Amino acid sequence: MKILVPIKRVPDPATTIRVLADGSGIATDNVKWVINPFDEIAVEEALRVKEKQPASEVVVVAVGEPAWQEQLRTALAMGADRAVLVRISPPVDTGAVARILARVAADEKPDLIILGKQAIDDDSNQIGQMLAELLGWPQATFASKVELADGRCTVVREVDGGLETLSFPLPGVITTDLRLNEPRYASLPGIMKARKKELKEIPVETLGLNLAPLLKVRRLASPSKRQAGRKVASAAELVSLLHSEAKVL
Amino acid sequence: MVDFQLAPEQEILRQTLAEFARERVRPAARAADEAGAIDPQLVREGWELGLISAPVAEWMAGETSTRSALTGAIAAEELAWGDLAIALRMLVSSLLTLPLIEMGTDAQRRALLPRFAGQNPALASAAVVEARFDYSPGELQTRARRIDDGFVLDGKKCLVPAVEGAELILVYAASEEDAGRRRHDAFIVPADSAGVARRRERNMGLKALETYELTFDGVRVEASGRLGGERAVNYPRLISQWRAGLAAMAVGVARAAFEYARDYARERKAFGAPIATKQAVAFMLADMAIEVDASRLLAWETAWRLDRGQDAAVESELMRRYVANATLQVTDSAVQVLGGHGYIREHPVELWLRNARGFCAFEGLTMV
Repeated sequence: MKILVPIKRVPDPATTIRVLADGSGIATDNVKWVINPFDEIAVEEALRVKEKQPASEVVVVAVGEPAWQEQLRTALAMGADRAVLVRISPPVDTGAVARILARVAADEKPDLIILGKQAIDDDSNQIGQMLAELLGWPQATFASKVELADGRCTVVREVDGGLETLSFPLPGVITTDLRLNEPRYASLPGIMKARKKELKEIPVETLGLNLAPLLKVRRLASPSKRQAGRKVASAAELVSLLHSEAKVL
Repeated sequence: MVDFQLAPEQEILRQTLAEFARERVRPAARAADEAGAIDPQLVREGWELGLISAPVAEWMAGETSTRSALTGAIAAEELAWGDLAIALRMLVSSLLTLPLIEMGTDAQRRALLPRFAGQNPALASAAVVEARFDYSPGELQTRARRIDDGFVLDGKKCLVPAVEGAELILVYAASEEDAGRRRHDAFIVPADSAGVARRRERNMGLKALETYELTFDGVRVEASGRLGGERAVNYPRLISQWRAGLAAMAVGVARAAFEYARDYARERKAFGAPIATKQAVAFMLADMAIEVDASRLLAWETAWRLDRGQDAAVESELMRRYVANATLQVTDSAVQVLGGHGYIREHPVELWLRNARGFCAFEGLTMV
């Protein structure tokens, strides 16, 4: 079993995000970077498959700048076997990332691709779906349970009002939900071993893909500050304010 | 010549242990302090990361050691940022294993190290400090007398961590040899040896960590029990390593207190503005930040010299004096920034102040 796990570098969820004054992006000074938490869950799930089927190989892949090596090394320290970094400079839209990953998948020929359902920075929730479409593979998104047997994958997803179970023949694409597992910490021996593992860099130009962006980020803005609550004297006044001021009635 | 860029694996280690400290250690700190005990399951989680076993396994595999005092300092700071007592409890066995790997004879290493290699390593501790006003690790009163087939230990130690359940204790003692010339040694003593008596101490801080007073009354140690055998140990280096580890932990405690006070001051409003915008508080926070960084630089300098095989006796002496005082000052300031809130147990700063007070005591007075 060969599993490909695409990961993204994102600001640590514990970091306070500051939007640049011109709205072109976020301030990156003093930002700590981590593996996108949903992708970390994907790495963990792949490692659990490998623990059950030791002949498996877990390959992590990222599409980004040289600094993204840090997150790939962290995934290697957790236990992934090798890493691929497709080097590209921003801006990159989701379509381009999906096309690059589809090409990497075509070269690597994995049995399964597991990735986060979305990245916590832009919350796009698109890559997994686009990737499955480009490869012509089945997909199961928002997985909260994954089982592999006899060349098929069974996935439980949390949907409104209950659980849905899907089953598909491999190869396929899974995107992970929050409750799928709790990722492990890298161990000290794992960190030391990661140094010797292969991290291949591929300049994106060598892939010969058309990556013209279809999507343009026009502006980023901070959410407006929440107003303090207000006490009203009576239900009548509340209804009147909801009607005249909040205009929700 | 000087490079503050961490190696990629040091950076991953730092981040991993920072995360572990934030998610697992810090949330357990208050309950452990109140109960005077640490959840053994949490300690095992730390061991599963390889805190004790990783360097041992490396030695057993015959690999070149990747161990470094600087890497150790980075790990110690992050864990102690979570909680000092829990960090010490997780790392206590390395007080024996690390000197053993570096300075033990082959026979000692082969005999003792394998039991520390797994995910549930044996427990060991070290007895260094003595409860005397003129205590100095260079002039120990605990004596090792040579007899025909070994040594006899006599003396008293204090602040020996986690003795309960420990198999072995590394005892630092002065031995007399060669016509009365004094030298210092470390002896590997089974905790259940005849003549070893223990008494649990009740401390101002570190309440979650059991510490003991140990009395050695005619304790016989085989000749093979002297660390390093006839070659013995590089004692000044051993002391510098011990100090570097403690100093790195002190930096972790101080950083925890500074960050907590800073975040509190940004949120807490008085007279319509966050107290961090008031000069009296802002200046205090700036001083705290400077002390934390200065302390870390001193700790790293000692570690850096040790990693290059250089003597660090002077640096480690300056480091321990400075860091102990700075940590006390920073944790005290943190209590002050929180005002009345700093004094109550709902905030952790009073716990950190109590723990920090120990750094001036672990190694004798900071006045000498």
